[in-house]
Amino acid sequence: MIMESRLKQVLDQGVFAVTAECGPPKGADPAAILKKADLLKGKVDAVNVTDNQTAIVRMSSLAACALLERSGLDPILQMVVRDRNRIALQSDILGASALGIRTVLCLSGDHQRFGNQPGCVGVFDLDSIQFLQVVKGMRDDGVILDGEPLSKAPDMFIGAAANPFADPLGFRVTRLAKKIRAGADFIQTQCIYNLDRFETWLSMAVDRGLTEQAAILGGLTPLKSAGMARYMKERVSGMDIPDAVIERLAGVPKERQREEGIRICVETIERLKELHGVRGVHIMAIEWEAAVGEIAERAGLLPRPRVPQG
Amino acid sequence: MTDPSRRTLALFYCRNVPEAGEADRQAIEAAYGGHIRLFPLPCSGRLEAVHLMRALEEVADAAYVITCPEGACRYFEGNRRARKRVERTREMVAAIGLEPERVGIVIGSREAPKTLAQLAARIYEETSRLGPSPALKRPGTQPPACERRRSWL
Amino acid sequence: MITAEQKPLDEIREMLAPYRRVLALGCGSCVAECAAGGEKETAALASALRMAARIHGEEILVHEKTVDRQCVREFILPLDDIMGDYDAVLSLGCGAGVQAVADMYPEVPIVPALNTEFLGETKDQGYWVENCVGCGDCMLYYFGGVCPLARCAKQILNGPCGGSVDGRCEVNPDVPCAWQLIIDRLTRLGALDRLERIYPPKNWARKQGSGPRKIVREDQQR
Repeated sequence: MIMESRLKQVLDQGVFAVTAECGPPKGADPAAILKKADLLKGKVDAVNVTDNQTAIVRMSSLAACALLERSGLDPILQMVVRDRNRIALQSDILGASALGIRTVLCLSGDHQRFGNQPGCVGVFDLDSIQFLQVVKGMRDDGVILDGEPLSKAPDMFIGAAANPFADPLGFRVTRLAKKIRAGADFIQTQCIYNLDRFETWLSMAVDRGLTEQAAILGGLTPLKSAGMARYMKERVSGMDIPDAVIERLAGVPKERQREEGIRICVETIERLKELHGVRGVHIMAIEWEAAVGEIAERAGLLPRPRVPQG
Repeated sequence: MTDPSRRTLALFYCRNVPEAGEADRQAIEAAYGGHIRLFPLPCSGRLEAVHLMRALEEVADAAYVITCPEGACRYFEGNRRARKRVERTREMVAAIGLEPERVGIVIGSREAPKTLAQLAARIYEETSRLGPSPALKRPGTQPPACERRRSWL
Repeated sequence: MITAEQKPLDEIREMLAPYRRVLALGCGSCVAECAAGGEKETAALASALRMAARIHGEEILVHEKTVDRQCVREFILPLDDIMGDYDAVLSLGCGAGVQAVADMYPEVPIVPALNTEFLGETKDQGYWVENCVGCGDCMLYYFGGVCPLARCAKQILNGPCGGSVDGRCEVNPDVPCAWQLIIDRLTRLGALDRLERIYPPKNWARKQGSGPRKIVREDQQR
């Protein structure tokens, strides 16, 4: 069993960290997620497992993380506040820790309207910032919300998400500060295509001293085609894809656009490596987990450092 | 005494329609032997769904409203409101299983204004083609006990 | 005010099917304001039901009566005199009104004609929006008079979430992002620093902690 978050250990070593993401299946077969995990072994430090992403019913993140942990990967448990109240959230943190899961990402979650159970109650008992605070209280003070002591505190490296490209821009860094103050040890950002805008946000974070308090990992999603880029630009909120990127993809023949997308991703990683305050990358290759290894390789991120196992 | 083989029309109208004074109203009603019932309004915007519904229930096979031309309502938006309310009433009428065409609106023309009598004649002719309304209470039929008579304007 | 909308006529007719003598009971307060169950709407609905019965060869008596406020015992007491004439009540009150009447006349079947929806304001003629969830612990001061529970789809107290587009909520683009409104309002008031604070988890017990709530005021009692 992993004794301490691998991601934390890598960051503590001062090494540029690499995480990736995979989604559990819409069914009960463990093989599905283990297959994706296999593609990521040795290519990344830790793997995010999404939690009923887009409000679509999937195998629970907690279960999928346990499967990954047993197969030798270090999972990052994504937890949304949409589906569970404070009792269930705290309970799952205890369970996760007991199962050897050492890293958690506290998120709001996509509204149930977007998923396949739109008639359900959206719980939202806590918001993501309150949840961060609760997990930190459990870990550092050994208590649940409102102070009752735990018999054993969970061990968790706590993360949150940040979107440098969302409205209202002026407020994004205030919110980032709140997340870190609430308990975030690391931050994974929304995928970056507009580096100038990212750097503006980053410099504001640096100015507020936030990059000293939490490790920021820049998010990346390799684009498979110009069509995909256009779709994301128009239909996905909080995304900033400059026209130049779309034109670059559209400028190559269809069968070479994937390669171009990977190239763009690798170039972005090279730039991120140079930026003060960025301590790693988070590669979200949606249904394209195989690309992660290639990107990591070409960006000079392999092999991943070894860390003491428990 | 109305003739069961003839249709009846309830016609609401803005008093600013040409030749729509009290004398005109009486003349038209007399000319049609009570088969057109005319209801003057201070503005067509005063019309509500309940007026049209009650007309269809008790008085007529069809219920229409005549409004002033677009932009000419002396209360600015009365005629537009009337149009929206007629639309809503048509939905209600369809929901009970009655032809929505039994409720309608005629917007007066600026270029070629028609008198109340002319419009009444035209609307009566068109709506009569729909035949007798199955929703209208027929004279001589036994009404349910203790029916209340209420003022509904 | 409480807002409501009329149920589809088919649904109402189906519920009324077993009954022959119906009192359509309107309410002159909130549901009149949102044009769902006031005197006019009650008269129109009663007329529609009578005509529908006639068209389908059914027999039904539907009388209308509207009380000032259906949710107040004193205003429905006068119905004692006439309730015996009917075998069912079709209430055009909000859920509170329907139940107040049902509690008063438990032996009379009651059919709701409306779907009660939300607590809100008349933003403009013919336009009502939800703005309060009755949480029992009002925090409007901290958020510049914009409620993040009622107006943020995710009920975030430490917002915004980052999904808004052009100041509109990602969940419903018809709706402005409540947090954008809060930030704008507090900025205008020179009080944006109120949002530096981490607002703790809500005490939902004040809303649903022990079942249906009540308020008792002895100084208001007989």
